[in-house]
Amino acid sequence: MFNFEFNSLAEAFLMQSQNGQNHGIFVWTVLIIVFLSILATFIFYKMSIKQITKKLK
Amino acid sequence: MYQVDRAYSYIFYISLVLYLVSIFWGLFVTPEDFVQGNSYRIIYLHVPASFISQSLYIAMAIASAIFLIWKVKLSAYLVRSIAPIGAITTFIALISGSIWGIPTWGTWWVWDARIVSTLILFIMYLGLISLHDSFSNHEKADKFLSILVLVGSVNIPIIKMSVEWWSTLHQPASITISDKPAIDLVMLYPLFGSIVGFAGIVTCLVILSSKLQILRRERNKSWIKNYV
Repeated sequence: MFNFEFNSLAEAFLMQSQNGQNHGIFVWTVLIIVFLSILATFIFYKMSIKQITKKLK
Repeated sequence: MYQVDRAYSYIFYISLVLYLVSIFWGLFVTPEDFVQGNSYRIIYLHVPASFISQSLYIAMAIASAIFLIWKVKLSAYLVRSIAPIGAITTFIALISGSIWGIPTWGTWWVWDARIVSTLILFIMYLGLISLHDSFSNHEKADKFLSILVLVGSVNIPIIKMSVEWWSTLHQPASITISDKPAIDLVMLYPLFGSIVGFAGIVTCLVILSSKLQILRRERNKSWIKNYV
């Protein structure tokens, strides 16, 4: 259950499936989009709150 | 607000760790799917976003009803605060679904009932934000927004049932309350972890968005001056 599915970083990057197709590009693209979207949203709200707090002070 | 500020850090760090561990587990430990190959690993990013985007709308509808019935001002602030977060999670659900569609269906987009109803949800979120911001009178805006949110909530059961009512390319739900899950437990545990973790992270975003909304709307009140 806790064995790694990939033997090397290169394998994990490519994520080659049994049909020979490399699915890594799709998985990694989605991961980057999700993380960047969340990060950008956090930064936006943190900065907006900081700005308005500064004004109110 | 002081109590929420205190709870925020706990929710954030616990959710972040749970989400990252679940994503790591899903991407590197779970076995390859025999039909979809490794592309199925997108499930750990797509399903939480999709589930949360619909849950946020339900939360908005409940807050709208509370505002319209009991005139609780905080509920109106919450409705406006959830809308942009809902738009972002729906955007993530649509984009991740489209990218998943390329290796699985051979196309990034089809005019399928599930996908179109999710696109409508995204447009609704954007429309609700625009509508609220177009009013100069906040009280009027809150009222219109709440009514429209309640009217638009009809889309949520449509999204949920679209894969049952119509013949769609999108697969039916793998997890239902009444039946046994259609996916193996080895794949299911990290999926649950990623959903709960993502829900916690989104809760933190809603807290920040609500805080901003309260600071903007209550800026002339004396308690705000004491708070900042």
